[in-house]
Amino acid sequence: MDVWLQWAMGPLFWTAMAFMVLGLVRHVGLTVWGSFRAYRRAGDKRFPVGKLVGSTLHWLVPVGKVRNRGFFSLTTVLFHAGVILVPLFLAGHIQLWRAGVGITWPALPNGVATTLTWVVIATAFALVVQRAGAKDSRALSRFQDYALPLLIVIPFLTGFLVMHPAWNPFGRDPVLLVHVLSADLLIFLVPLTKLSHMILMPFTQLVSELAWHFPEDAGSRVGVTLGKENEPI
Amino acid sequence: MATAQKYSYNVEQKGLEGSDKPRRFLEAFSAILRHGNYHVALDTFSRLSAKCGRCAASCQLYEATGAEEDIPCHRSELLLRVFRRYFTNAGVLKAKLFGGFTLTDEYVDEMAESFYRCTACRRCKATCPVGIDHALVTHLARWVLAEIDVIPRALLVSVREQLEGDSGNTSAIPVPALKDTCEFLEEELDDLYNVDIKFPFDEEGAEFVFFPAVSDFIMEADTLMGNAAVMHTSGGSWTIGTGNFDGINYGLFYSDRMMEKIVGNVLDEVKRLKAKKILIGECGHATRSAWYIPTFGGPDAPDVVNCLEYAYEQFKKGKIPLKDEKIPERVTYHDPCNIARSGKIVDQPREILRAICADYVEMTPGGTENYCCGGGGGTVSIDEIREFRTGPLGQRKADQIRATGAQIVISPCANCKKQLKELCQDNGMEDVEVMGLHDLLLRVLDFGEWEKAPEAEDVAAD
Repeated sequence: MDVWLQWAMGPLFWTAMAFMVLGLVRHVGLTVWGSFRAYRRAGDKRFPVGKLVGSTLHWLVPVGKVRNRGFFSLTTVLFHAGVILVPLFLAGHIQLWRAGVGITWPALPNGVATTLTWVVIATAFALVVQRAGAKDSRALSRFQDYALPLLIVIPFLTGFLVMHPAWNPFGRDPVLLVHVLSADLLIFLVPLTKLSHMILMPFTQLVSELAWHFPEDAGSRVGVTLGKENEPI
Repeated sequence: MATAQKYSYNVEQKGLEGSDKPRRFLEAFSAILRHGNYHVALDTFSRLSAKCGRCAASCQLYEATGAEEDIPCHRSELLLRVFRRYFTNAGVLKAKLFGGFTLTDEYVDEMAESFYRCTACRRCKATCPVGIDHALVTHLARWVLAEIDVIPRALLVSVREQLEGDSGNTSAIPVPALKDTCEFLEEELDDLYNVDIKFPFDEEGAEFVFFPAVSDFIMEADTLMGNAAVMHTSGGSWTIGTGNFDGINYGLFYSDRMMEKIVGNVLDEVKRLKAKKILIGECGHATRSAWYIPTFGGPDAPDVVNCLEYAYEQFKKGKIPLKDEKIPERVTYHDPCNIARSGKIVDQPREILRAICADYVEMTPGGTENYCCGGGGGTVSIDEIREFRTGPLGQRKADQIRATGAQIVISPCANCKKQLKELCQDNGMEDVEVMGLHDLLLRVLDFGEWEKAPEAEDVAAD
């Protein structure tokens, strides 16, 4: 068991991390390069920068956007708060980083982390139930839309059990192994699934705006490419 | 040219012929991605789409039909799926290894139907947490479809007449008929208000060249008289160019290629007349298309002013004198999506209406969150889908108008006006009057100092 744990927390974790980081760097690289290219080609280079920054910040911190489907929105906001804060600011995780690579940062009190853990577990199930329960989102949903929230529950639930042995009906190590393996899997899946929005979210308002900024002669060029430049309408 | 009814709307025969639609669709899509600016947006959207369904709650069509295919995210996915499969490395590799989705004639037909059920009103954009612009996807998909000749005939023939026809405008109005109409409007202004107001033609060096929706010359006499009256009382320098007097740009609805040509013609006319600015009449899409003038005309392109912005500016300066009596009927305001969604023209017409109406009421929601009239994105021109437009597509708007109890709906857009008139007719609201802002303004304008002195014989008779 110990060997498996060492492997999951060592080589497997670092492989997953490297895969995620490289994948996200690729995503960002492609988006930044695409945006730069679009900007360079735009016929009108005046951009409503303030509005763009405003709408980007609005959606990164969507507290003012919960009117449409309020309960669903609130569930989503709480879910994201827990999913971001707990893994990054749990004291136990920070200790591992300090032991492994020598860096550290302030931690959440364990009581807060535990509360947020339950918030994540509860809201993840609530998201799945709401998705399946609402006709429109059910119609749109893919496998990953159900699988990812449920997969996210695993490291949070097992993390709670590791932190609270009195609640744990299984041994510490098997539960810890499931915790680390499920987290590794999630990290690995980030660039391959919609989880990549964790890095691409700041770009979404920008790319929409850029697309509406047509190149001056895009239409003519398309006509030439398709051999239609002299074709009657 | 022959037409046929394969889709809900008529297309010309060439849009139905051939069995190689998927190949042609992909060629056109590829060319547009190469030369346009859509690639980065589609690439981001296709990776991020969260399928949360929030857009469904903001779409008036889905609210009315409850049909899965009317969810904006479902519609966008139709094109994103093609993009992912054929224009991303992962999609191409996945198809090679595992097969899967292939673009077929039936799939192209599904897109052809779906992308004309959307009015591209952009309401759902404001509710998508990951910022997917479904109207952008509709805009792009329609262009790709247009390149394989799948275009509603109503839009196609208008653009053909505008770009290749003898008249050079979408309503096929010859210049002599235009001049006759304007002469008639001048006489009407004289008869009704005793004022000598001119519609100036081809005056070089004027500040503004006026581009209304050309259909106004046939259908909206009061709007045009209102436009002319405001220019007159404010002392505005304006002219109508006989070389091009049509602000309509259906390219915005189905093809950037056409849009580019139409804007180019507008710029040529302004240049010919040595004018400084472009004045757009009461028309939402004409205004939004004209806002693209810097795209096609460079940084030195003439400024674009919508007539509502002009009227508001003059109103604030006190150059639109008003009678003491206000409009007594209950009045409400419909925001045309193309000028309101971006927030550019929302408050200006409201401020004027509050000043001239005794009983002005708001439609809810309004402004940047307004509902489309149900005829946006060019669908209003497609007469064969009227039942759909004034049914499920316009249901929300009909409910909104009914809830205000208004007798007059102001809608400063030629397309919205046509749609709202039909909407009221088809939904048992025949007593509701739909008109432009300038129509109403004309009723309360105080022509005082501009009124002509009584004719000599009239004085003698008195």
